[in-house]
Amino acid sequence: MTLASQIDDRDGRVRRAQGTRRTRRRHWRPALVALAFLAPALIALLLLRLIPAAFALWDSLFRTSLLGGTQFVGLGNYVALFGNPEFQNSLLVTVLFTVLINPIQVAISFLLAVLYTRRAAGAKIWRSLVILPIAVPPAVSAVLWSVIYRPDGLANAFLNLVGLPAQPFLTSPQQSLASIMVLLSWVGVGYWMLFLIAGINDIPRSYYEAASLDGASAWRQLWTITFPLVRRPLAFVLVADTVSNLLVFAPVQILTKGGPEGSTNLLMYEIYTRAYTLGDLNTAQAEVVILVLITLIIVALQFRLLRVED
Amino acid sequence: MMRSRATIVAGAAVGMLLLSGCSASGSTEASGTVQFLGPEDPATFAPVIEAFEDEHPDITVEYTQVPFDQYSNTLQQRLGAKDESIDVYAVDQPNLSQLAAQGFLEDLSALESKAKSATSKAQYEINMYDGKMWALSVWNSTQLMFFNRDALNAAGLEAPTTNPDERWTWEQVQDAGRSAQEAGIDYGLLLEQVESYYQLQPLAESLGGGSGISGNDMLSVDVTNDGWIQSMEWYGETFASGLSPRGVGGFQTAPVFSDGNVAFFVGGPWDVGRFASDADFDWGIAPMPYFEGGDVATPIGSWSWGVNTASKNKEAARLFIEFAALNPDGALATSEATTIIPANSEAAAEYLPGLEEQGGEHASGVAELMMSEIENTAVPRPVSVGYVQFESAMNKAFADIRNGSDPAERLAEAESQIENAWSKLL
Repeated sequence: MTLASQIDDRDGRVRRAQGTRRTRRRHWRPALVALAFLAPALIALLLLRLIPAAFALWDSLFRTSLLGGTQFVGLGNYVALFGNPEFQNSLLVTVLFTVLINPIQVAISFLLAVLYTRRAAGAKIWRSLVILPIAVPPAVSAVLWSVIYRPDGLANAFLNLVGLPAQPFLTSPQQSLASIMVLLSWVGVGYWMLFLIAGINDIPRSYYEAASLDGASAWRQLWTITFPLVRRPLAFVLVADTVSNLLVFAPVQILTKGGPEGSTNLLMYEIYTRAYTLGDLNTAQAEVVILVLITLIIVALQFRLLRVED
Repeated sequence: MMRSRATIVAGAAVGMLLLSGCSASGSTEASGTVQFLGPEDPATFAPVIEAFEDEHPDITVEYTQVPFDQYSNTLQQRLGAKDESIDVYAVDQPNLSQLAAQGFLEDLSALESKAKSATSKAQYEINMYDGKMWALSVWNSTQLMFFNRDALNAAGLEAPTTNPDERWTWEQVQDAGRSAQEAGIDYGLLLEQVESYYQLQPLAESLGGGSGISGNDMLSVDVTNDGWIQSMEWYGETFASGLSPRGVGGFQTAPVFSDGNVAFFVGGPWDVGRFASDADFDWGIAPMPYFEGGDVATPIGSWSWGVNTASKNKEAARLFIEFAALNPDGALATSEATTIIPANSEAAAEYLPGLEEQGGEHASGVAELMMSEIENTAVPRPVSVGYVQFESAMNKAFADIRNGSDPAERLAEAESQIENAWSKLL
């Protein structure tokens, strides 16, 4: 091999190597750019969600005594929780609450959205009035409803007006959870309705015109045009509403403190009292982990249902 | 461009000078801001803060209010997170042991001799835990029975007097309240802190039920004895029979009296000033009742102030609580905007005659009555490191009993809840 050919050969290798590097760089660049764009969201996800969740899981495996130290108890806190009557009651109340409030709120939001997208006199004004409670902070709305629900409050005055007997509302174990649901729906329904109105307005009017020409009734149009075409926003509303209702706290804290007889002791409030009233942070973290698991299971189920429909 | 850069440089230089000036003055004496957390309305502490700032022009006190029923939890939450934005905080006296055990209170033992001479023995001892002093008593309290004289007159009833020897029994109050209701008033009786241990402990104590916590280590709970069950049966019945209203929250109760809707109202010295300005009917004051054949027991104890261990301005924080608790002028200023007894003995002696004046003819004899109750009939809340869990479970039980739960069953449930909470913590 001559010197010249050796040089040629080396140049070739260098060129080939440069070529591969260039291709690799070209290949990597979009991924890096994408990562850079995603970085703020990923960092936030890591710092605000995943790391605290890992901490909660880790903490839930220990027991801290006020006068002694901290010791590892494994799943001891979880075992103790499932044998604890207060926690069992709280789970039951939360499941009952979730099963009732979400379908009710979504159904009312959907019907209101259909109603307020009709071209009727004053529809926009009524719509604004329904949305208005969103502007009221949760704590303020709870205080407002505490006055409404008082024995001498607005609700009983109204019942009296229509000739019905006065009701105990928040002071009765049978009525307190329902009273909280009414309060939450007063705020929530208008909010979820907004998403459904946007969905309904996206449906081309020509579909309805064609259906009218074919003689379809309003009821038929609702079920065969509106309902299937807002399924996506509806699925979003169902999932988001479920998550937000699993995290309800302020009205319970302000109005009932979980009572009477634990009838409104939703999991979020149970976690709060265990952590900050009873001072048992480790068990409270175990409850946080359980609440997250419950939320994940429900949301996964809802997404699955949606996929089957697709 | 040049000019703007020059402005920035000049501005920064001035800023640096100002900063260095600040730190120079701070190194010699306490200064800066003291963040103060408490459950009272901000107007209550405005006079003491103003008086303190006049005396210490380099220190500013910023007060934040957290409503009473969320106060204890908020403290746990923020102190547990080593929150530096609290320098001084009000300590509900029975919670002191736990807060000290958790390491949330700065050791103030250096002030022990001063504190001892400034206040009563009981108010000095209440701040001790594990042989050290953790806070300074600022206020003291007792309970009084207010009555609507117009309502009693309308029912043809004779009103009670301020004389402790002529103290009414709960049974008498119940009968008189019913008669007043028949004569037209909405309710017969209402306790101000309607679901709180502070006000309900004396009911059980009167029937021999004790405080509910016993044992050498004060970690045995007993709220299922006859005294507790009987007194809570009586209490639950006052709501079931309509003598007292359900559904009116803890601190919404005073307006029920000042609006003229209840005949008897058991409240604190702070209500004297409030009713003097809000009530437009004839009212009067009597000693807190007891059960027929039982002991006389009245509440006592109030608030101490302590320094947060995570505070970055402990020196100034300490000066502030010393001013409010140990300096008679400062102590007097803490009760200027409210009617409450200062824990400082010198300030209390000066304060009580003024309180009577504030209440006018309705409150005549109140100063003497309060002093007599504090000395003779007061039963303090139990001092236990598990008090916070105890009180929280009991307050929930009181709320349920008020709403109709069976007292014996509910007290048994509370007892097991407390035992469970203690077993996990202690």
